[in-house]
Amino acid sequence: MNTVLSRANSLFAFSLSVMAALTFGCFITTAFKDRRVPVDIHVSKVMLKNVDDFTGPRERSDLGFITFDLSADLQPIFDWNVKQLFLYLSAEYATKSNALNQVVLWDKIVLRGENTKLNLRDMKSKYFFFDDGNGLRANKNITLMLSWNVVPNAGILPLVAGSGQISLPFPDTYESTKSY
Amino acid sequence: MLSIFKSIPTHMDYKGQKLAEQIFQGIILVSAVIGFVYGLIIEQFGWTVYIVLAGFAVSCVLTLPPWPMYRKNPLSWQPLVPESSGESSQKPQESIKKKKHK
Repeated sequence: MNTVLSRANSLFAFSLSVMAALTFGCFITTAFKDRRVPVDIHVSKVMLKNVDDFTGPRERSDLGFITFDLSADLQPIFDWNVKQLFLYLSAEYATKSNALNQVVLWDKIVLRGENTKLNLRDMKSKYFFFDDGNGLRANKNITLMLSWNVVPNAGILPLVAGSGQISLPFPDTYESTKSY
Repeated sequence: MLSIFKSIPTHMDYKGQKLAEQIFQGIILVSAVIGFVYGLIIEQFGWTVYIVLAGFAVSCVLTLPPWPMYRKNPLSWQPLVPESSGESSQKPQESIKKKKHK
């Protein structure tokens, strides 16, 4: 503390320690918060095709097309320890070969300060809903659910499933692929 | 060039050092509490950081330069004692004796 440099050093070290404590406080005040909100998913149209999957084994695989509506109010999730949300819509279903299949159909990043009221109509999925075989046809229980990653300023990165999943049956027959 | 910097007096006396430490700790802690509460209310952690940084800047200005208030209690050194050969030669002998007793 006798010279300018030693004073600057202790001042800086003390400020950093205080800042670390504040960051921990920011984490603690939000660590035990319930970040689930109700989500309303509605599927308006389901189409099923059987096409060549050029990425996998050269066999015809099931490809689903889902048109969905999505509405949710994400405002309760945001607080001072949330920078952004990564939302993703995933489909879960069981086939003969796998007890659990999970396919991400659509995702969206909601930044802090953006519109938190989701109200999406007639959305097409962003990513292909490919099964690795023929497990989609006549599958009576395909569950769509919206989940999100909460990206915080400090602390853990929680993965939250929204309440409001829906199950839908897929059709028994393929659409004609000759339409093009 | 260096001698110019070295010629600037930067020292504080002991009480001044203690006072400076107490001042910057107090300022930063107070700004931390204010920033935390304010950030919690308006839900912006960035403002907490800004307020702590402001406290840091204020305490830099207040405690880094050796303001006169940190130099009020200079050490009172003994006046220069003219060398007397008798005292200076006795003292080392005493310390040697003590060591032997142990």
